[in-house]
Amino acid sequence: MRVCCGLTRHLELAKRTDLYGSPVIVGRWDDHVIAASEEALPFGVAPGMPLRQAEHLCPQATFLSPDPEAAARLRELISSALYDLAPVVEVKVEGIAWLDVSGVVRPGDSIREARRRLRTAIGREPRLGVGPGPFSARVAATRARPGRVVQVEDARAFLAPLPSRELALDTEQLERLDLLGLRTLGAVAAIGPRELESQLGREGRHAVLLARGAEPDELTPWRPPQFSSAHRQFEPPIEDREALLFVSRALCGDLADELGLRGAGAKRVRMRLVYESGDPEERSSIVRHPLSSAAELFGLIGGWIKEWQPRAPITELWIELPVLETAGRRQLRLWAGNDGTSEEVAAAVERLQERHGALVVLKPRPAFISSPLSDQRFEWVSS
Amino acid sequence: MQATQLEHAISTIRVRFGSQALTRAGELPPPQPWPSSTPLDRLSGIEGLPRGRLTLLTGSGTSGKLTLALNLLAAATREFAHAVVIDPRGDFDPWSLSPFDPELSSLSVVRLDPEPSGEAATALARAGAGFILLMGEIPEPWLGPLEASANRSGTVLVGVVDAPGRALAHASSLSLGFSRIDWVWDRGELVGLRTITRCLKNRVAPPLGESELEIRYPLGPQLPFSTPVIEVPLEKAEMECVSAVV
Repeated sequence: MRVCCGLTRHLELAKRTDLYGSPVIVGRWDDHVIAASEEALPFGVAPGMPLRQAEHLCPQATFLSPDPEAAARLRELISSALYDLAPVVEVKVEGIAWLDVSGVVRPGDSIREARRRLRTAIGREPRLGVGPGPFSARVAATRARPGRVVQVEDARAFLAPLPSRELALDTEQLERLDLLGLRTLGAVAAIGPRELESQLGREGRHAVLLARGAEPDELTPWRPPQFSSAHRQFEPPIEDREALLFVSRALCGDLADELGLRGAGAKRVRMRLVYESGDPEERSSIVRHPLSSAAELFGLIGGWIKEWQPRAPITELWIELPVLETAGRRQLRLWAGNDGTSEEVAAAVERLQERHGALVVLKPRPAFISSPLSDQRFEWVSS
Repeated sequence: MQATQLEHAISTIRVRFGSQALTRAGELPPPQPWPSSTPLDRLSGIEGLPRGRLTLLTGSGTSGKLTLALNLLAAATREFAHAVVIDPRGDFDPWSLSPFDPELSSLSVVRLDPEPSGEAATALARAGAGFILLMGEIPEPWLGPLEASANRSGTVLVGVVDAPGRALAHASSLSLGFSRIDWVWDRGELVGLRTITRCLKNRVAPPLGESELEIRYPLGPQLPFSTPVIEVPLEKAEMECVSAVV
């Protein structure tokens, strides 16, 4: 595993870029400090301490109430921005972004682009670290200057001189380590996992493995939300069916492009028309095979629009794909020449057979090729 | 002033109907040909048959156009996952295709009356069938949808008709006329014909070109033809084209 870690501000702080450069403390009243800006740290403020104590230490700081929803939205934004740079991407609200670049052909390009995108999203240069696992990469990133990378080849050797408080242990456990004389990660790594497990419980064993550079933690890959939609507002409202068809085709094209990037297909399709007056109307369908191309989507949507009888001028058109599925098996298209998938053509054939009978589409199968009678040479099989 | 109004009209169309509604000709993608490995590739001017457009093979009976079309169909069955024959007359015989070494598993034959055959061709083109051979005329109302569907999916459309109607000739993007000039005999047996193939209409390249082709009839399934269509070198091969038929 080769992991790149981008270290930014806590996302609770990053959502207020206007307060960059001044001490900011995020926390709920009568509770603990969730995040503190770098400018507040020299005053002795630290995440986890009571907010009253932080206020006493740094009264000039700006105090913000946490907004977990906004931070989560920012996290999603950063995750989607980094998604195409590495096979596995994980972003935490604490301001840590991990990219597993093992297997990436040009990891340097990915790391450089990740730095640029993080800077765009947060508004400040991230600190970057590259190591054999998430822990060593994060520790390396904390030692990097903004916009620079610290690269770790031998995690154990790199971690050995660092203080044991780098481990994610609570205050009591860290004090216990101190009492045991285990003040560096090298000292923690030197004792056996069972010995420390007997002192600190499971966290002790985990700490030894981390200190040895064994990287027991796996990244939790971020996946894009399985939902997509596109819509268009009409000003002035339209009544023309052809115009509606034209717009829906363009929207289907946009959605297909997005599905293609995600490698997904729509299992369910919903179309909604908002009228100038009256309640909106909608129609939805669950399809047997996930739709991923613009032609497939428009085949369904266009059919609905053609038979729709609008009650009033239309102000808005929504096409929603509320259920997405992986469209990996559609890569079979690669083997099928340059034409459509078997499913699309099979669906068209089924529709023709429903309308005109089963014998309208036939496939020839060799029977008695050498027969002088043309009827005996091939048998016709319903397609 | 006029330029401003024009820009305003263009932006209105794009805002109302989407960015793809109006495209400058210079931004359009070039036509992607399907190389059929026959002399028709040279006559089309784009080194292949145009995708998403209708190619017509026309000419009187026994001029070799159906043999050439079967050659194209067999090549398409090997290359595409779906090759479809729209057969309104119901007289397509796969045995006539056998000498060209087709892949029958990807061949489908649609046998419908002329009226619904247009609907079938349109549906299959929209679904993305790779190659469609039209063995007859398509009703005029279906020509527009067929062309549009094929254009979106990139289907190669080939029509074989003796004398195309005005609508079909108008809908085609490439029209090649065949006229027989001689028979080819071998040891007293008729084995083929020589035909002049002219580019009558070409919307995808300058409509130039004329070739003399020697087309060998298939002699039976045991003797597959490797090159059933032979192009005869002709001094006047690059003659000026006859103007469009319509």
